[in-house]
Amino acid sequence: MSSEPNAYASHPPRMREATILDKVVANGGVMSIALFFVACCLFFAVTTDAFLTAPNLLNVIRQSAPLLIVAAAMTFVITTGGIDLSVGSVLALTATLSAAALQAGVPWPLAIVLMLLLGGIVGVIQGYFIAYERIPAFIVTLAGLSVIRGFALLITGGYSIPIEPTSPFVALGRAWVFGIPAPALIAIVILAVAYIAFNETHFGRYVTGVGANAEATRRAGVNTRRITLWVYVLSGMAAAAAGVILSARLGSGSSNAGQGFELDVIAAVVLGGTSLFGGRGSLVGTVLGALTVAVLANGLILSHLSPFFTPIVTGFIILVAIWLNFRLFRGGAKGR
Amino acid sequence: MTDTQVSRVRMTGISKRYGALQSLDNASLDLKPGEVLGLVGDNGAGKSTISKVLSGAVIPDAGTIEIDGREVAFTSPADARAARIEMVYQDLALCDTIDVAGNLFLGREPKRRIAGVPMLDKKLMHERARDMLSNLGIVIPDTRMKVENLSGGQRQSIAIGRAASFNPSVLIMDEPTAALAVAEVEAVLELIRTVSQRGVSVILITHRLQDLFLVCDRIQVMYEGRNVAERRIEDTNIEDVVNLIVGRKFAARSAGHNREKGVSS
Repeated sequence: MSSEPNAYASHPPRMREATILDKVVANGGVMSIALFFVACCLFFAVTTDAFLTAPNLLNVIRQSAPLLIVAAAMTFVITTGGIDLSVGSVLALTATLSAAALQAGVPWPLAIVLMLLLGGIVGVIQGYFIAYERIPAFIVTLAGLSVIRGFALLITGGYSIPIEPTSPFVALGRAWVFGIPAPALIAIVILAVAYIAFNETHFGRYVTGVGANAEATRRAGVNTRRITLWVYVLSGMAAAAAGVILSARLGSGSSNAGQGFELDVIAAVVLGGTSLFGGRGSLVGTVLGALTVAVLANGLILSHLSPFFTPIVTGFIILVAIWLNFRLFRGGAKGR
Repeated sequence: MTDTQVSRVRMTGISKRYGALQSLDNASLDLKPGEVLGLVGDNGAGKSTISKVLSGAVIPDAGTIEIDGREVAFTSPADARAARIEMVYQDLALCDTIDVAGNLFLGREPKRRIAGVPMLDKKLMHERARDMLSNLGIVIPDTRMKVENLSGGQRQSIAIGRAASFNPSVLIMDEPTAALAVAEVEAVLELIRTVSQRGVSVILITHRLQDLFLVCDRIQVMYEGRNVAERRIEDTNIEDVVNLIVGRKFAARSAGHNREKGVSS
């Protein structure tokens, strides 16, 4: 504390206004992943001919649409200090059930609505146990991962269910609108909405508040349990949307879809600088994180390297990006 | 501040048990409009708990609360806020990763509608945050700064600013001066005087007994969850208060023996 002899009001300003460097450091997570993303793109643009072509880039976005959509919702979940491990299983369940529903003659718009509803219900159940019964999110959604995948396997008996290629449903995964693949378009719209919700609305503010100091946010008169419940509803619905898009693109619903998908999603979010401890989240970072993972997978294949390099390189990048974020950008300045 | 006035706050028979610990045992509290009440007692005497009951953060097992003569039942801090009861918590209750303006407005952010969708009005928040802080003489150059980057005194100022700026009728301050430098303590005491002159009732919890004698009208002493004594400020002195707090004759130097102002913070 300072030992000013003057009156309180005549303190000289002890803090300067935030400089550009301060802002860069404050957004260290986003900066380090942006660096990696640009480096990856440059590397593959130089080493391969096919990478930097419009069809290839659009294809990357088309394939990573489910990842982008769920990662957007997962950013909310992780910013509250929670986690949702069940998204891969929800994706598998909704992929198989949408295929099954179409086979049973359910009209396709109704099938989509039902799937989103199912994802929301899964989110309500998990969110209830997390927010109102105070069971750690890791445990609740780990149980969810197991149970929901089990339902998907039980319903299909382990087989994949085909979707009629003539059904307008498959357009969701395969159509091109204004030269952009439909899944990419859906992902872009969802990301834009998520960005606004996260940064410009009361809900987004309270999501950050719950992660930063849940008790303080509660004492400020916010219904923190409802906020917590809602983020799991969002991630459930996002996973359902991803399941619908995936089954539409592949033309079948497989109960084995999305194995390990939750880990890819969490990796993308964490790469983007969102803190697993909560309170700090960035949707721009999440998009960059998800695209970095997608570009790597795509670029390694175009470089005629084994696609099995992807997990190895991704793992290293996660470690190095987070390390950079900790050492370079935040320095020792981060006090509690 | 005549005795004929209806009490701003009347809490009677408040009890609260945490497992084996009876934190509050038939405690009561009475507060007139514009009165400054000093709430003192040893650690664990129940000062913080009874003030959290009034701010809605803790729900009591038994007892009644009346605000301006009307009985209320707070089930959440939002209810107490709606009754214009504001509290500065001992742990400040700030969100580190949210900026200064965001913390000041936490839970009551101004809205603006874009295409019918309610959004945060950040521009208005920052403008009003600057006004609020300068009205209280708090110097924070940039309301966009995250609270984690501020000093202990500045954080405390923001917690106080948040509670004092939304036209409260009761302002509860739990150790508001704990992290402050001497000059900043003076500013907080001045703030308490100012708001009480405007008719705001203040409950001040502090271990700095000399502060009580500078601003309080009355002192209530708590001991192991019960009220044990009440004194008009003009009828008592630091030695008396220390004895009441520890519950026996206490001849230590901190009780004021051989010293004019013997209590150190």
